[in-house]
Amino acid sequence: MDAFKLMKELRVNYEQEAHYLPKETGLSLIESTTEDDSRISAKCRDAKVEDLWSLTSFFGYSTQTFVLAVNLLDRFLAMIRIQPKHLSCVSVSCLHMAAKVTEEECNLAPTGDLIRIGQCRFTVSDLCRMEKIVAEKLNFKSKAITALTFLHLYHQIALSHSTDRKEKLSLEKLEAQLKACLCRISFSKAKPSVLALSLLRQEIEGVRSEDMLEIAYHIQRHLKITDGELLLWSERVARCLSDYASPECSKPNHKKLQWIVSRRTAQNLHSYRVVPELPTIPEGCWDESESEDSCEDMMSSGEESLSSSLGSDAEGPFFPLHLRRQKHRQPLHA
Amino acid sequence: MMGDRPSPPSRAMSSAATTSPSVDKVDGFSRKSVRKAKQKRSQSSSQFRSQGKPIELTPLPLLKDVPAPEQPELFLKKLQQCCTVFDFMDTLSDLKMKEYKRSTLNELVDYVTVSRGYLTEQAYPEVVKMVSHNIFRTLPPSDSNEFDPEEDEPTLEASWPHLQLVYEFFIRFLESQEFQPSIAKKYIDQKFVLQLLELFDSEDPRERDYLKTVLHRIYGKFLGLRAFIRKQINNIFLRFVYETEHFNGVAELLEILGSIINGFALPLKAEHKQFLVKVLIPLHTVRSLSLFHAQLAYCIVQFLEKDPTLTEPVIRGLLKFWPKTCSQKEVMFLGELEEILDVIEPTQFVKIQEPLFKQISRCVSSPHFQVAERALYYWNNEYIMSLIEENSSVILPIMFASLYRISKEHWNPAIVALVYNVLKAFMEMNSTLFDELTATYKSDRQREKKKEKEREELWKKLEDLELKRGLRSDGIIPT
Repeated sequence: MDAFKLMKELRVNYEQEAHYLPKETGLSLIESTTEDDSRISAKCRDAKVEDLWSLTSFFGYSTQTFVLAVNLLDRFLAMIRIQPKHLSCVSVSCLHMAAKVTEEECNLAPTGDLIRIGQCRFTVSDLCRMEKIVAEKLNFKSKAITALTFLHLYHQIALSHSTDRKEKLSLEKLEAQLKACLCRISFSKAKPSVLALSLLRQEIEGVRSEDMLEIAYHIQRHLKITDGELLLWSERVARCLSDYASPECSKPNHKKLQWIVSRRTAQNLHSYRVVPELPTIPEGCWDESESEDSCEDMMSSGEESLSSSLGSDAEGPFFPLHLRRQKHRQPLHA
Repeated sequence: MMGDRPSPPSRAMSSAATTSPSVDKVDGFSRKSVRKAKQKRSQSSSQFRSQGKPIELTPLPLLKDVPAPEQPELFLKKLQQCCTVFDFMDTLSDLKMKEYKRSTLNELVDYVTVSRGYLTEQAYPEVVKMVSHNIFRTLPPSDSNEFDPEEDEPTLEASWPHLQLVYEFFIRFLESQEFQPSIAKKYIDQKFVLQLLELFDSEDPRERDYLKTVLHRIYGKFLGLRAFIRKQINNIFLRFVYETEHFNGVAELLEILGSIINGFALPLKAEHKQFLVKVLIPLHTVRSLSLFHAQLAYCIVQFLEKDPTLTEPVIRGLLKFWPKTCSQKEVMFLGELEEILDVIEPTQFVKIQEPLFKQISRCVSSPHFQVAERALYYWNNEYIMSLIEENSSVILPIMFASLYRISKEHWNPAIVALVYNVLKAFMEMNSTLFDELTATYKSDRQREKKKEKEREELWKKLEDLELKRGLRSDGIIPT
């Protein structure tokens, strides 16, 4: 697609994006909620979105599916107040709906699998019902214009302007960064075009390409995005990405995950801890030298070399006691 | 006691199955369960060959009925009487005398437990003689060539009614407050120990249990015999591993070794380290590992707790001997490895993490679901998880490919669910690396698919070419 057409498409999307934004008041409400059993808080929404990402990755769904699912989720949550115990069902419904829109039929994971792998407590019929509810509330607008849409467009524009720079701007990386941002509810407040542009700029600054920066400015002016807005979101994006890339890992919350093993394995798991019946026999350092019956001299011949054999033939086991005493005085060879 | 024998044993000692009737053969395999049902609990003993004439022992008065000064001498007399050995394979012979000996032995056990001042110097040789006469014997050969220690019932010792009391007596004698090793060592010597060790091959587990206690006490009290005992045990194990793969007392000997290893002084002697590498590690290769694996694993872990620098050779040894065809053994190895990892020091972990996780990666992909399950369960171990987290940049690339593949391909849904847990943990541990690996994996897979497609197309082209050529020349399509 040539540059002109791309810019036109950009414009069209820009004008439409507001229709797919989650209600800002709704999002703020969630953000301000403290940990509570009756309302969704930002923390539990974020955790759920991370779970969605795990499921997306596991089932091999595309980033597009994930981004769409998050969009549906946020739009729904901003509109309807639900109890935290239903959040799991809502989020998986959104994922499934998004997958139906984006993925090929053959790649669609059956709902039973989604529930089983995600260790969810609800049933397939619950899921179907929830899907209908969500679709209805969102006025059946399942396809959405998201930050990913813009990211793809920006990337194409950048490509079309400088073909030899293709390697430097990685779409996969941008997608991964977008995913990282989406795991925090605050970024759902951003306009997708602005969020995408912030990401693009962040990456361009990383590769330090003057040409690319030009292109970014060009896009910004074309869409009439204000500097202030861009700066605000760029800062937030930068912070988020530095956390994401930091070597300190967030401790996996594996306590929440169920580890179900088969009966046989479970039986064998703890049969290993053998409790010793016999009391410990301490080794004295004066052990061997005390007695005349010592055979230790034979052993120490192979001090550090592991190649020497144990059980030397210097003295056979059936050697009579009185003869052995005599032999002991002869020099022993290694 | 007369009632102890469950069934009249025959003179011909082997009552185990020899030929299975044809009805047992199903699909060409004989039904082991049917064969076992027909097998009676057999007994044997090669101790006694009947002399023909009945044995007569003059009944002696009870020790408690005799004044204290006379007791030591009476004690000796009773010991001497108990040297007489009876034939238990013949259930009807010498019943009265057998009972007499049994009650005498019983009396001696009590006497040794409670008495004071009875142990004179003369008593020592008599005790050892009596014990030797009773317990030292050539063990009968195994009844059936196909004796499977795990499945079949063991052949029990027929003279157990007396034998048990002799062992009981000997242990209490050794544990007695009056016992003096300095006197006893003249009689409990290397020859004695050697014969004792041979008895560990007994099929009777009760006997082995007593022997274990006896040897443990001897090792504890006779410092001069310790090196000898260790050496002989080495010999037994080495013969077991490299020559016969037959010895019934491995578990018991390992238990004793466990208590010895536990008491090792630091720094560890070179002899002990050699023992670990040359004897204990190769013990893992034996077919009947399941019979003594728990004790073996305990010994290994004790060693590592004593000297953590041994971790690397131990784990490399285990990896070298990793079972390739026996899944049951693989599961055992995984259990042992987890126990080792439970006590491993982080610096040691770093040294072996690569080969270790390469093996774990293979286990996790195993089509045998128990192996895969056991390996995946490592991720439920908090300490192991903390080690993995610290080194995720090394471990994740090793594990990634197999985890991702099995999540798509494994036949067992439970395994797939566990893999999800592991992948999720990794995702949270090191997101950036995970993303990179996912991207690389996907692009690799796409490349592979493309290659496959190209190959198929090439073959198709060749086929078409072949057809065309065939048709052109003579109109006959070549087969």
